[in-house]
Amino acid sequence: MTRPASSTLPGGFLRSLARFPERPALQLADQVLNYRQLHERAGVLAGTLLRAVPGNEPPLTAVFGHRSVTAYAGVLAALLRGHGYVPLNPAFPADRTRTMLVHSGCRGVIVDASGARELDQVLAGVAPGLTFVLPEHDDVSAFAARWPVHRFLGARELGGAAAPVPAADPDAIAYLLYTSGSTGQPKGVMVAHRNVTRFVDVMVERYGITEHDRFSQTFDLTFDLSAFDMFVAWERGACLCCPTQAQKMFPGKYISDCELTVWFSVPSTVALMSRLRMLGPGKYPRLRWSLFCGEALPADLMRAWAAAAPGSVLENLYGPTELTIACTLYRWDAGRSPAECEQGIVPIGEPYPGMRVLVADEAQKEVPVGEVGELLMTGPQLSLGYYKDPQRTAAAFVTPPGRPEVFYRTGDRVRRPAEGRPLVYLGRIDNQVKIQGYRVELGEIESVLREEAGVELAVAIGWPLNASGADGIVAFVAGHPEDTRELRERVILRLPPYMQPSEIRVVKEWPLNANGKIDRRALRDSLAK
Amino acid sequence: MEATAVQEREVRAKLRAWMAGRAKKGVTRDFNDQTPVLELGILSSLDIVEFVLYIESLRGEELDPDRIEASAFASVDTIYAAFFAGR
Repeated sequence: MTRPASSTLPGGFLRSLARFPERPALQLADQVLNYRQLHERAGVLAGTLLRAVPGNEPPLTAVFGHRSVTAYAGVLAALLRGHGYVPLNPAFPADRTRTMLVHSGCRGVIVDASGARELDQVLAGVAPGLTFVLPEHDDVSAFAARWPVHRFLGARELGGAAAPVPAADPDAIAYLLYTSGSTGQPKGVMVAHRNVTRFVDVMVERYGITEHDRFSQTFDLTFDLSAFDMFVAWERGACLCCPTQAQKMFPGKYISDCELTVWFSVPSTVALMSRLRMLGPGKYPRLRWSLFCGEALPADLMRAWAAAAPGSVLENLYGPTELTIACTLYRWDAGRSPAECEQGIVPIGEPYPGMRVLVADEAQKEVPVGEVGELLMTGPQLSLGYYKDPQRTAAAFVTPPGRPEVFYRTGDRVRRPAEGRPLVYLGRIDNQVKIQGYRVELGEIESVLREEAGVELAVAIGWPLNASGADGIVAFVAGHPEDTRELRERVILRLPPYMQPSEIRVVKEWPLNANGKIDRRALRDSLAK
Repeated sequence: MEATAVQEREVRAKLRAWMAGRAKKGVTRDFNDQTPVLELGILSSLDIVEFVLYIESLRGEELDPDRIEASAFASVDTIYAAFFAGR
């Protein structure tokens, strides 16, 4: 069943609602909501938003929540109301969340209990006139008293469900997702409905998803891989199984207890399972599909997973947010794949149907097969660019010489070893590092450090290194910070967990390279001693 | 042999010290055995491998990952009860 090309999100959810109203749509801790119940929750929120925050300037609604029914219903509510959703994570620093909220221009925000706990910090300095919907709060008078310039609607103020008005335009924004930016300002990637529906169509056909499937949901909503879990599962009436933070620490047990059939995670999770001895042979017989994305995937982990999930097909997916979730894939084959891995890393494979690859030099001209180049891609999953940021959009979305179409510059180094062989990932070309699947601009961490008193210069290094990037961050600073421990305590309040330096070292003399620039490699080498 | 009161105090102090050393937010000032370490993010999936290995080193034997309940890591009290009490 292929959807009409013009359709938009959340069409798949609504089709599944019609076909399987009583089948489970969302499992979260001990709570299970079927399609009808989840739609009712979302419908009430959508109706409330339509009445309280009419208009489409901008056509965006924020969801300030984390692993809760309200958060998932909020995503659906934004879409049912005809807006794109902007996920905001309450676990991230308030300053960062405020920057995103203000930059997005959202006038309506759905807030779950974890978001409500952080709301006061986020609201300091936000221009008046926002409407916050808090369905888990009966009484919101305390918020209203503290912030009379905003409007707060609790459970008692929720109205009835409204008829859904999903966006009619496939080019409208389905979600706006902020990624790390080198200037210290996160970039908002605008992903259109047609980008996501194209991706979903490819995936449900490839994986033969049915209403009997049970999907893992290991990714936070601020990580675009979560869109795979939600929209691919809900397209065919499957159940989305969302582990709590505590359950996420023991994924093997969660796979078994929840009887998952589709697993999707970053390779770091597999590494964690391996170290906790959770990859014993035959442990996960129910898994049909095991998918990995977000980081370089070591072949030895793939082999261990193949033994643990003998009935599962294994695939390595690759893709930046700007190309909508994932845009190349590689299927693991126990016979063929070991020879296709380079330096023990599984290839990223071939582009999705309709996507086109260009491996190019600095002038964006194609390099010969066998040579290393930057990966550029285009096709139906090419996103709309960066929100309110034409400059950075123009720098990243380019028309290479002699090509008629716009390509996205991924910043990733790749190589096709020989004609007919899969693409292999070789790391970043710039100052980014992958940490737990998140793309981190080291410049953003350095920018935050430089704003602190006494810090004249700062360099952040990914450390310790792993096959994908790094496990964490160590920072070097020059100047006269009073106390590096206190400096770190201040800085980590402004950065999300995966960007927080585990250590800050004061440098008296920077090592320099031949060009007179700070020698980052020498700094990294100093950590190994 | 059941842990003596002294041994119990030592184990609890070591567990608290380990987590206080890893805490990524300034929440450790009032840290005690009832502090909800998962809820406050003091203990996260980033730390869990090292922490399990640390518990194993204190116990002197490996844990069975299939029998670990995530809820056992809620606080020092629950960790002690799950992995040390009655041994």
